[in-house]
Amino acid sequence: MNIVSAFSSKESVDLVVQDLQEQFKDLDVKMVIYYASSLHAPETISQKMQQAFPAATVFGCSTAGEIASGKMLKNSVTAMAFNARAISEVEVAVVENVQDDSGVEQAFASFEKRFGVPMLDLNPRRFVGIILVDGLCGAEEKLIDKIGDLTDVTFIGGSAGDDLKFAATHVYANGKSYSNAAVLALLKPATEFSFIKTQSFSTLCKKLVVTKADEAKREVIEFDNRPAAEAYADALGIPVEEAAGRFMHNPVGLVIEGEPYVRSPQQIKESSMLFYCGVVEGMELSILESTDIIEDTRKALEEAKAKLGTISGLINFNCILRTLELEQKQATEEYGALFAGFPTTGFSTYGEQYIGHINQTATMLVFK
Amino acid sequence: MAGKIKMMIDSIIEQRAKDNAMLQGVIRTKLMLKGIDPKKYTLQSDDDPAIISKLETLVKDLK
Repeated sequence: MNIVSAFSSKESVDLVVQDLQEQFKDLDVKMVIYYASSLHAPETISQKMQQAFPAATVFGCSTAGEIASGKMLKNSVTAMAFNARAISEVEVAVVENVQDDSGVEQAFASFEKRFGVPMLDLNPRRFVGIILVDGLCGAEEKLIDKIGDLTDVTFIGGSAGDDLKFAATHVYANGKSYSNAAVLALLKPATEFSFIKTQSFSTLCKKLVVTKADEAKREVIEFDNRPAAEAYADALGIPVEEAAGRFMHNPVGLVIEGEPYVRSPQQIKESSMLFYCGVVEGMELSILESTDIIEDTRKALEEAKAKLGTISGLINFNCILRTLELEQKQATEEYGALFAGFPTTGFSTYGEQYIGHINQTATMLVFK
Repeated sequence: MAGKIKMMIDSIIEQRAKDNAMLQGVIRTKLMLKGIDPKKYTLQSDDDPAIISKLETLVKDLK
């Protein structure tokens, strides 16, 4: 095997790192990606993970729950190791101030130096990017937007979590921990790869156009020239007082070629609505209605397997709102079991990235 | 003036995707996530300065 996944639920960082080292001992490790519960001190876990695999490129982030082969976990560390037969080349760069556009340009300059090709000329079928970003920075859409402007390589990833404390999230690289930052990894896999973007929603016929928004605050002030909360409630045929109770079941989505890019409402502020990701004036959003996460994910995995023939490794960036819904429905074991047949790592995120920044979605990088 | 947005969108898609249909779809998606729906603009559409400014950033990054 060229890709091996592992997890550890040991209590101390030392024991976790030792446990993971033991599980990866038969692999000549070139790259390790890991996701760690916020239980573990950020600086310590990052330093010790890098020390454990000194010859490898090691990066990761904090989580709101972890995903391993066959399991959804809490208070654990999940990891995936790759040898050179799985990943030919990898370069990691840290964007230390995600609000600053020049950070992405500097990161991309380091990639261009390493690979000797302008980012705009890299073949998106041969290269893939991973993005791990501070989940409380509120700047993911600007970051992924800039990345998308500068390259055709797909960057996929998630926003770091902190077990629903909403106090501080961290990304890890080079043996260090960073906040208000993003880790960008550019990979040249030695094998074929594909992507899954799955969200469990059907599209209702009702649409809302954003007519007034404060984009920086992720706030919609008006839909269809009416107070946002009132227009949303009316579209669902419910009183405004009941609107917040429907957010998880009825988010809104920008539907592109039949595919929703979900924007999840977070709260009502006076008559405005705050969202977990950016909404832009002029956007036409459809009201969505939740469907079955287990069945939709099963179908998405089957399609990926049919496309690639086999799955040798999968990284799952699964929205925390999906995890909460699975917990409510006592379906976490069933969800974990969907990933039992192949090496899997991943985490419950505070936002997902695939082309753009999205919510209530699982984005997955799948290796043949 | 009218039609500049449609011309800029077409030019960006042509330069970035050339004849690659998959990339054309990705670039349209990126534009829509920026709040620019390519299907909404024709050669008769007004030249909205806010949209033109967003597109100019993209054109600059192409160079």
